[in-house]
Amino acid sequence: MEPFVSHRGRVALLDWSDVNTDLIIPARYLKRIERTGYGPLLFADKRYVDGGAPAPDAPETHGAENPDFPLNSPEAKGSTLLVVGPNFGCGSSREHAVWAVAQAGYRAVIAKGKDEGFADIFEGNAYNNGLLPIELPPADWEVVADGVRNGKNVEATVDLQNLTLTLHANGSDKVIKIDVPEGQRNRLLKGLDAIGETLQLDSKISEHEAKLAAWLTPAVA
Amino acid sequence: MPETLFEKVWNRHVVEANDAATLLYIDRHLIHEVTSPQAFDGLRLAKRKVRRPELSFATVDHNVPTENQLDIREPMSRRQVEALRANCKEFGVTLYDIKSGRQGIVHVIGPELGLTLPGTTICCGDSHTSTHGAFGALAFGIGTSEVEHILATQTLWQGRRPATYGVEVTGSLAPGLEPKDIILAIIRAIGTGGATGHVIEYYGPAIRALSMEGRMTICNMSIEGGARAGLIAPDDITIEYYTKVDRPYAPKGKELDAAIADWRTLKTEDAAAFDKHVTVDASSLVPQVTWGTNPAMTIDVTGTIPDPGNVPFSSRQDAERALEYMGLKPGTPVSDIPVDIVFIGSCTNGRIEDLRSAAAVFKGRRVAQGVRTLVVPGSEQVKNQAQAEGLDRVFTEAGAEWREAGCSMCLAMNPDKLTPQQRSASTSNRNFEGRQGPGGRTHLVSPAMAAAAAVTGKFTDVRKLLAERV
Repeated sequence: MEPFVSHRGRVALLDWSDVNTDLIIPARYLKRIERTGYGPLLFADKRYVDGGAPAPDAPETHGAENPDFPLNSPEAKGSTLLVVGPNFGCGSSREHAVWAVAQAGYRAVIAKGKDEGFADIFEGNAYNNGLLPIELPPADWEVVADGVRNGKNVEATVDLQNLTLTLHANGSDKVIKIDVPEGQRNRLLKGLDAIGETLQLDSKISEHEAKLAAWLTPAVA
Repeated sequence: MPETLFEKVWNRHVVEANDAATLLYIDRHLIHEVTSPQAFDGLRLAKRKVRRPELSFATVDHNVPTENQLDIREPMSRRQVEALRANCKEFGVTLYDIKSGRQGIVHVIGPELGLTLPGTTICCGDSHTSTHGAFGALAFGIGTSEVEHILATQTLWQGRRPATYGVEVTGSLAPGLEPKDIILAIIRAIGTGGATGHVIEYYGPAIRALSMEGRMTICNMSIEGGARAGLIAPDDITIEYYTKVDRPYAPKGKELDAAIADWRTLKTEDAAAFDKHVTVDASSLVPQVTWGTNPAMTIDVTGTIPDPGNVPFSSRQDAERALEYMGLKPGTPVSDIPVDIVFIGSCTNGRIEDLRSAAAVFKGRRVAQGVRTLVVPGSEQVKNQAQAEGLDRVFTEAGAEWREAGCSMCLAMNPDKLTPQQRSASTSNRNFEGRQGPGGRTHLVSPAMAAAAAVTGKFTDVRKLLAERV
């Protein structure tokens, strides 16, 4: 996994609540068995004009962009930080939703509300792919969202080492503290492979297995 | 400290814990074709093997055509199903394939096969894994990276331990009301993100009165309230699920006795406290219908479409977008809304009791002109049982289609889907935009309410139809 230490990039705003993973990537694209190629499929039923979404077997081929979709605005072009409403990524567990966000070029998603910004499964999937999910208290979130609403080509810096998000808007910098669980922070900073780490605990896993009740072993069908 | 049911199950699975995270042992791992191919690829890439192949079980469900399971015409669907077959073979994982007699929706076959047991941890790359919590198992959905992690290690890292949410359901359900109405009413009360970061425990007399099928319907939709998992403490009804019917993988004889003795201890102690709590009265419920694009956008069948400025948990702007997508106007009585398609099935409502309650409404009636009705059993075993009971004839004589087992019209990954602007009454779990097909408009209801919509062509209070029988 690519480490995440610090990142500066343009900020885009999608001010919708309860954005579910079916919206982030419709189920028909989940027939793909690859792990890459999901970038153009992000919000496929929203970001292209009617009938313009890619066919599942040709993800790179699509129709014109829907100019009304917020992430298609000129200000959002090339953005790498995505600001979203509360309960982002609710619904299906599909990791394809995180792959789509990350492969569309985003490094972090900034959601509204501590402990309610992201749905649980999406948040876990994001960490596992080096996509940093940041939950901000509503007041801090509004500072960032207002900066994007009122500014042009607004940028921000996410510094995972120092746990800050700095908004660069209208010629001034606003520094906001961010909160990332220490275990996840450490893993992201070093780009660690979770399975590799866990395999080092093999003897502990075996110890646990040795203590299991006999009825836990599946009977022979 | 007195413990909740959740804490008891969690604590007995801790392999390693530090300040930042806990490594949990996973007793059962269920696999389907959609969220697993990249996980197996990851293992191959890293030259890793499956640590305990005998604890993982696979089936095919999402892509399977329900008109004729064997006829997978869509090349990408076929490739995905074939990838699972090859992966299971290569890594030694048991697969319940089409026509094995045990194939079906992963959350329907897990309990049927006795893989789902009280007090265990169960994971699957599927958010509706919460279904298995009906047995007092800690069961939750995971992403594909985590599928790979379990395959390689039989464990999973969890961050902060989830908080607990007590959902008490008092009273009892009136005739015509179903477990689906309870869970829709709960989500309506707490919102789609109300239980984020929490594990729900459902309890109270209305829960105790439910069969295992009904409890599965409730726990299935825990995720629609944002919960990590949903749990119900095991009781005599749970234990009879294993003692009255032979479940191939469940413990037998002395081991079953030992298991039952353990399962009896799996309950929240009186003095234990939940972090959050809500009470819903089952006695006062009327049949529920979703009107919008998330499952909290639910109203009574006797109600009217709400004003967008007055929708709990949604901003005016979000509610207006939902109304526009659904093609509905505020003030419209729910009972005036016509339906094009009725779907009865899914991991929420594709079990035998669901089919029985739909059949009770269909019996002696005909599907309304212009309405297409699909009845899709959740598994091959459910299909066989329904046929043995003659339910299939009730459906076909009413003019409904009796299909083969699979996820069908729940999620538009197989030929069963809505076309743009088609409106469905659906017993599935998500009314998200495009969930049943791009542009499709989904209203979630109980199986009895779906059957009532099928025979009247619009949303109809099923209690009226049942009263006609008396």
